[in-house]
Amino acid sequence: MNIIVCMKWTPDTSEADLTVSTTAKDIKKDDLDYDMNDWDRFAIEEAAQIKEKIGGKVTVISLAPEESEDMLRECLARGADEAFQIWSDQMEDGDGFTTASVLSEFIKGRPHDLILTGTLAEDDGAGQLGGMLAAMLDIPSATLVSRIEVNDQKVSFVRELEGGLYESMEMDLPCLIAVATGLNEPRFVSIRAVRKVASIEIPNLGIDDIGIDAGKVGRSGSRVEIEQVSLPPEGEGAEIIKGKAEEAAARLAEILKEKGAIG
Amino acid sequence: MKNIYVLAEHRKGLIRDTTWEAIAAGRKLSSELGAELTCILLSANATMAETLSTEAQRVMVVNDPIFETMNSEAVIKTLKEILKPSGSYVLLMGASNAILDFAPGLSVALDAALATDCFSVEVKNGKLFASRQMYSYKINSLVSFKDSERVVLTIRAGSFPFTSSNVAKGAVENVACPIDLTSLKKRFVKYVEAEKGDVDIASADIIISVGRGIGDEPDLDMFQSLADTMGGVLACSRPIVDKNLLPKFHQVGTSGVEVKPKVYLALGISGAFQHLGGIKGSPLLVAVNKDPRAPIFRVATYGIVGDLNEVVPVLDEKIKALKG
Repeated sequence: MNIIVCMKWTPDTSEADLTVSTTAKDIKKDDLDYDMNDWDRFAIEEAAQIKEKIGGKVTVISLAPEESEDMLRECLARGADEAFQIWSDQMEDGDGFTTASVLSEFIKGRPHDLILTGTLAEDDGAGQLGGMLAAMLDIPSATLVSRIEVNDQKVSFVRELEGGLYESMEMDLPCLIAVATGLNEPRFVSIRAVRKVASIEIPNLGIDDIGIDAGKVGRSGSRVEIEQVSLPPEGEGAEIIKGKAEEAAARLAEILKEKGAIG
Repeated sequence: MKNIYVLAEHRKGLIRDTTWEAIAAGRKLSSELGAELTCILLSANATMAETLSTEAQRVMVVNDPIFETMNSEAVIKTLKEILKPSGSYVLLMGASNAILDFAPGLSVALDAALATDCFSVEVKNGKLFASRQMYSYKINSLVSFKDSERVVLTIRAGSFPFTSSNVAKGAVENVACPIDLTSLKKRFVKYVEAEKGDVDIASADIIISVGRGIGDEPDLDMFQSLADTMGGVLACSRPIVDKNLLPKFHQVGTSGVEVKPKVYLALGISGAFQHLGGIKGSPLLVAVNKDPRAPIFRVATYGIVGDLNEVVPVLDEKIKALKG
């Protein structure tokens, strides 16, 4: 079983104070911490678990600049056999379509039975990479998958719909699965485990190695253009109860009582 | 001239609300572009076409047993064939979990640009723009398309309120299924319902809900105690279930449980769209979060910017005192 996992290197914006860059085409990212996209953490874990169960080889790829090497090394420590970092400066400011184009060029030339990735990335929140990549490779795909069972030449899986409803489906291999968070428990990675994989070389591949035209990557190849980013208008929003934690909590208790909200 | 298409979403033989909202967005573009709106229905049940025809000028229907569900492989293959002669168009759909399964692949098959989860769309000087959110839903992004000959847009639920147009009934056009859908590589097996738990948050009037902000090793007893004091139930957002801190039947959200409480306390919950989508009605919504920019404060009635470990015990104690 040849498993390929696509990982994204994303800025952690969940609790950061974000500001718009001077061009207003993006946010300022210099002060943000980058890490493995949370959804992809579940994808590499699933790959490692499938390999442990039925054997095979796990290859991790990411289209990201050099700084992302720690993430790829962490993936090796999590159970991947090899990792490739794909980046050229021309790949900057691409969209989901250009990323899928590059990854599909890379994957086409290699054996692949199962491709795993996260359904969403928290930076662009688009949820498009998996489906686009599968279409370019002409293989079936599924998103928001919360359970996977590989048997023989097919994969049985469960995917999330809304309101506590799921659909149980199956697909022939080769196929792509974009996982939902929570489908497994990502393992704890010790420093020792990372040291053990320290000597594994992580090749860096550029557009020439991939064999893709410069016009098809980065900003020049993207189909969607960001005109402007902005902080949402302040609007009405919540009435903020000021004061120290204790005072604010006491005031809130009174408000809840006034509103008849204490059962 | 551009055509406007809306793909209808259905489940278990019924048109889903996402369809009406996509039609509302489609009507806006249709009037801005002066283009006709066509609704496309891929179904195993012809009666849904009648429902759609009361709201769309034209309905194209492909009937095939495979469309009992919206199997992504069948949808992509069929739409690729039936849209081939259409030239220039915008195709709109709801941003639902079923549609997320095929919209990206469909955009590649149609050689179209894609913007997902759009909360606003407009045409200015003949150019199409869409707005969506990025970076943990904290940033709005206005996007355009380099080549807008063919564009696929998915529409965020709640962004385009639908009102019935009561126009004259549109024409229903049956299209023969253009390709063989008998040997698909992806196959639907069955629907599975989530396990029911010992707590039913769907019917609770008072909900104390916890999110990522409570940390990796939270004191859940502190939150349960507040819930007990208030006569409410403990619920949560997705990251809490992902970390196995609470079972799935406690999860509020589009993929979890829909709730309709009178009071909703959001503690350490950032306010992701998928979470808010599960809160129906208009409860008194109170948010406590240490990030003053958390999107939850935009929708909450009252908010406290602060540390949960300091706020919650005092709140619990004060409410106990007020109850006497």
